[in-house]
Amino acid sequence: MSGPIAVDAMGGDHAPEQIISGARRAADELGVDVVLVGRGAEISDTLGLDLVEASEVISMSEDGAKGVRTKKDSSLVRGSELVRDGGASAFVSAGNTGATVAAALLRMGRIKGVSRPGVATAIPVPGASPTVLLDSGAMADCQPAWLVQYAQMGSAFAKIRFGLDAPRVGLLSIGEESSKGNQLTKDTHALLKELGGINFIGNVEGRDVMSDDVDVVVTDGFTGNVVLKTLEGGLRTMVNAVFGALSGPDVGDAAGEAIGLLAPLAVELDPDTYGGALLLGVNGVSIIGHGSSSATAIVNAVGVARDMVDADVVGSLAAAVRA
Amino acid sequence: MVPAETHVEQSPMDRQQVFELVRDQLADILEIEPSAVSEGASFADDLDADSLALIELVEAIEEEVGERTVGFRIEDEDLEELKTVRDAVDYVVAKLGSNAGN
Repeated sequence: MSGPIAVDAMGGDHAPEQIISGARRAADELGVDVVLVGRGAEISDTLGLDLVEASEVISMSEDGAKGVRTKKDSSLVRGSELVRDGGASAFVSAGNTGATVAAALLRMGRIKGVSRPGVATAIPVPGASPTVLLDSGAMADCQPAWLVQYAQMGSAFAKIRFGLDAPRVGLLSIGEESSKGNQLTKDTHALLKELGGINFIGNVEGRDVMSDDVDVVVTDGFTGNVVLKTLEGGLRTMVNAVFGALSGPDVGDAAGEAIGLLAPLAVELDPDTYGGALLLGVNGVSIIGHGSSSATAIVNAVGVARDMVDADVVGSLAAAVRA
Repeated sequence: MVPAETHVEQSPMDRQQVFELVRDQLADILEIEPSAVSEGASFADDLDADSLALIELVEAIEEEVGERTVGFRIEDEDLEELKTVRDAVDYVVAKLGSNAGN
């Protein structure tokens, strides 16, 4: 891997302290070269990491594309430029997702032949490898041809990220039958059926996303984001409810044992564990961390970034859409 | 490599140079031959260039032109009025002209 991993010090609810703390831990624990990108005036301590100055910040509430167009000296834009110009091998940000996508699009550029990039998020499947959900929020409205590329890129990504030989690719719809769905899914299904080169298993439904029956779930960004947020909220509520039930004043000793057994499961279901989502389809590794990313989430995100660079995921994605 | 802060004085771009810039950037973005991009070509109807392609185009133009004329910007609100390649070229030329007057 050449070049450090650049981390957006200004992105996320817990920026800059938690982000910088995570970046420092990543450098120490993973032996990875890390450089921060951000506004020096707002950073009291870089914990010994180099800082690339970026005087502007795109906030979480700003329109992403507009932010990138008007704040050319923002950490998100500068970070993407570092990857484009070879100053960094990857970029990690827990900031404004729309702006991260726009910055990657307008600075790293699309891989040749890719119509639209998509955000690939790992959805935990207890006891099995995670399901890749793509697109989980970059492109709200999609065309069938874009979803076909998501299927190709998602398959290539799942092979690298989770070591799968022939990832099972499903098209998210409202019924298994190819006649079920909206116009987008019906048109996309017809294209995927004729495609070849991927292990297309047909339509899947919402309840299959967290099952071990599918490895890559393809959908448009609007639907994907609804699925993602629904699962996140639902899982958090369930985990809190279960631990709450085991923590009441009248629970016996068995509750303590149960908590011990359940703790690893809670880690498995925690988004922080998966190190953020990868933006597929741009000429560089751009990791999109959850807005609430903790220091641990940043450590994991940097680890994933390093792995994706080492595995030349961009090269594999380019080959996948050419196929 | 010229640092971002340094403004290198170059002669202003003439109309032909602006057209070639727009043509070459558009060809790159749309992955077509530059010869397929004529002045009269409509973005939507002839070139199948959607809103993303236009944003990529203005970014590329701003970056290229910005090296000669610091602070050159294309307003996103003006993008809606640019229907053909000629519209884009005329717009950039007009902006460069008013920049020179400042």
